[in-house]
Amino acid sequence: MIDTPKVDWFALGPTLALLGASGVALLASVLVPAWMRKGVAAGLAFLGFALAAILGGAVFAETASPETTIAGSMVQDRLGAFAQVVVGAIGAIVVLVSWAEPRRSHRGEYYALLAAAGAGMVFFVTASNLMTLFLGLEWFSLCLYVLVAYDTHRARSLEAGLKYLIVGGFGSAILLFGSALVYGATGELGFAEIAAAGAGSDPFLVAGLAMVLGGLAFKVSAAPFHMWTPDVYQGSPSSVTSFMSAATKVAAMLVLLRVLTTAFPEEREIWTVAVAVLAAVSLVWGNLAAFAQRDVKRLLAFSSVSHAGFMLVAVAAGTEAGAEALLYYLVPYAAMSVGAFAVVAARERELGRDVSLEDLAGLGWERPLLGLSLWVFMLGFAGFPLTGGMFGKLFVFTAAYEAGDWWLVVLGVLATAVSIAYYLNVVRWLYMRTGADLGVALAGGSPPRDAALEVAVALTVLVTVGSFFAAQPILDAAADAARSLPF
Amino acid sequence: MSGPGVGWYLILSAVVFGTGALGVMLRRSPLIVLLSLELMLNAANLALIAFARQQGDLDGQVFALAVMAVAAAEVAIGLGLIVALARRDLPLDVDQASALKG
Repeated sequence: MIDTPKVDWFALGPTLALLGASGVALLASVLVPAWMRKGVAAGLAFLGFALAAILGGAVFAETASPETTIAGSMVQDRLGAFAQVVVGAIGAIVVLVSWAEPRRSHRGEYYALLAAAGAGMVFFVTASNLMTLFLGLEWFSLCLYVLVAYDTHRARSLEAGLKYLIVGGFGSAILLFGSALVYGATGELGFAEIAAAGAGSDPFLVAGLAMVLGGLAFKVSAAPFHMWTPDVYQGSPSSVTSFMSAATKVAAMLVLLRVLTTAFPEEREIWTVAVAVLAAVSLVWGNLAAFAQRDVKRLLAFSSVSHAGFMLVAVAAGTEAGAEALLYYLVPYAAMSVGAFAVVAARERELGRDVSLEDLAGLGWERPLLGLSLWVFMLGFAGFPLTGGMFGKLFVFTAAYEAGDWWLVVLGVLATAVSIAYYLNVVRWLYMRTGADLGVALAGGSPPRDAALEVAVALTVLVTVGSFFAAQPILDAAADAARSLPF
Repeated sequence: MSGPGVGWYLILSAVVFGTGALGVMLRRSPLIVLLSLELMLNAANLALIAFARQQGDLDGQVFALAVMAVAAAEVAIGLGLIVALARRDLPLDVDQASALKG
C-alpha cells in the first residue's frame, strides 16, 4: 500500500487557476456561439493569468520558509511565487496584446493554449525534482510549439514551429539524459536529496550536470544554444513572441538558478565557470549579431540573447546577491520585452508584413504613444537611467564584481556600450525619417486604434519606468525570494 | 540482480542517444528528425530504467513512464506540423525551410 501524498492545494493554486482557465476556454471555443468565442476565451485567459498572479502573491506572503509538497516533487517558496507573479502579469498583458491579432479561425483555442502554457510555466518554477522539472518544461514547451505555428497561413510560422519543436526537443532530450545520469550517480531525483547524496566528483554527476545545464541553456536562449531564437522569434505571431521572450526566459532562468544552487551546491566551482562562459559567449555573440539585423524582430531576438548573457552573469556569481540581481533584472526586462514586441505587432498589423527597420520610419510621428514607448524600451534595454534596465545592469555588475568575476563586468560594460548603438538606431528610424519619404505603404490604410494593445504597452512602460523609481520594493521582494535558496 | 550489468545498458543507451543526436543534426527529412528525437528520449528512458534497477527503487521507472507520454505528445505535434506543411506544398526538408535563414 502506497501512502497518498499530501497535496497542498494552496501551493498549486496558481497552476490550477490557469489550468482551469485553459480548460474552460477550450470548451468555450467550441460550445459558445461563434461571434463571442474570442471574447469569452480571451476574458477567461485574462482572468486565469490575473488570478495566478494574485494567488502567487498570496503564496509569497504566506510562505516564510520553503517547504516541499506532493511527495517532494514541488516546493512552495518565495522564489517560485515571485516567478508566478511575474509570469501571471506577463500573460495578462499578452492577452491584451493578442486581442486584435487578425485571425480567421480558432480564435478561442489560441487563448486556451496561452493559458495552458502559462500553467506549465507557473508549475515549472516550483519544480523540486528532476521529473517535475522535465514535465514542467515539456508542458509549456509543447503549448509554445503549437502557438508558434499558429498562423498556419504563413509558411514562416509553420517553419518556425517545426524548427522550435526540433531544437527544443533536442534540448529537452539532452536535459533528460543529463537527469538520468544524475539519477544514476546519486540514486535520487529530488534536488535537495541530490545535494545531500554528496556524490562528489562522480563523472556521471558532472556529465549529468553539464547536460542539464545545456538543456536549460537552450530554453533561456543563451549562446551557443540560441540558434533557434532569431528564426522562431521572427516566424511566430508577434504576440506569441512577446510571451515567449518574456515568460519563458523568466521561468527558465529561475529554474536554472534553482537547480544549480539547490541540487549542485558541491559542484559550485564547476558550474560557475560554465555559466560564466555561457554568459560571455551570449554577450559577445548576441550584441555583434544584433548589428547585422534589418528585421526588427530578429534584432530584438539577438538583443534577448545578449540579455540572457547579462542574466547569466548574475547566475555565475553563485551568491545570494547574484540571485537578487537576477530576480530584479527579470522584472524590467520582462516588461520591456513584452512591450517592444507589442509595438512591433502593432506596426505589423498596420503594414500586413514583417517589420524591418525601414518600416519603422515615421512611426514615432504617426503613433506618438507607441513611438515614445518603443523609445523607452530601447533606452531601457540599453540600461539608461529612468528605466529599471539601469538598476538591473548595476545590480548584476555589482554582484559579479563582489564574486570576483571582474572580467565579466568588463565584458558586460563593453557589451552595454556596443548595444547602445543598435538600440538608438531603432529610435533613429522612429523619428528621423517619415514613412512618406520612404514610401512605407499601409496595407489597407491605417487600421483603427487598438485600445487593448495600447493599454498593454502603457502598462509595460509603467513597469519599465516604475521599476526605476520604485526599485526598493522590488529589490526587497527579490531579496526575500532569493533567501529561499540555500547559499 | 541477474542479466547483464548496468554498464552494458548504459553503453547501449549512450550509443542510441548518439545515433539520435546525429540523426537530428544530419538528416534532412523532418520525419526522420522526429524519429531521431524519439531515439534520444528513449535512450534516456533506457538509462533511467537501468539505473532504477541498479538502485532498486521505482523513481526512475515512474520517470520513464511519464517521459513516454511526453514523447508521444511531442510526436503528435510534430506530425501535425508536418501535415500542415505538406498541405501547403512547402518543402519537407529541414535545410530548405529557407524562408527563415539560420
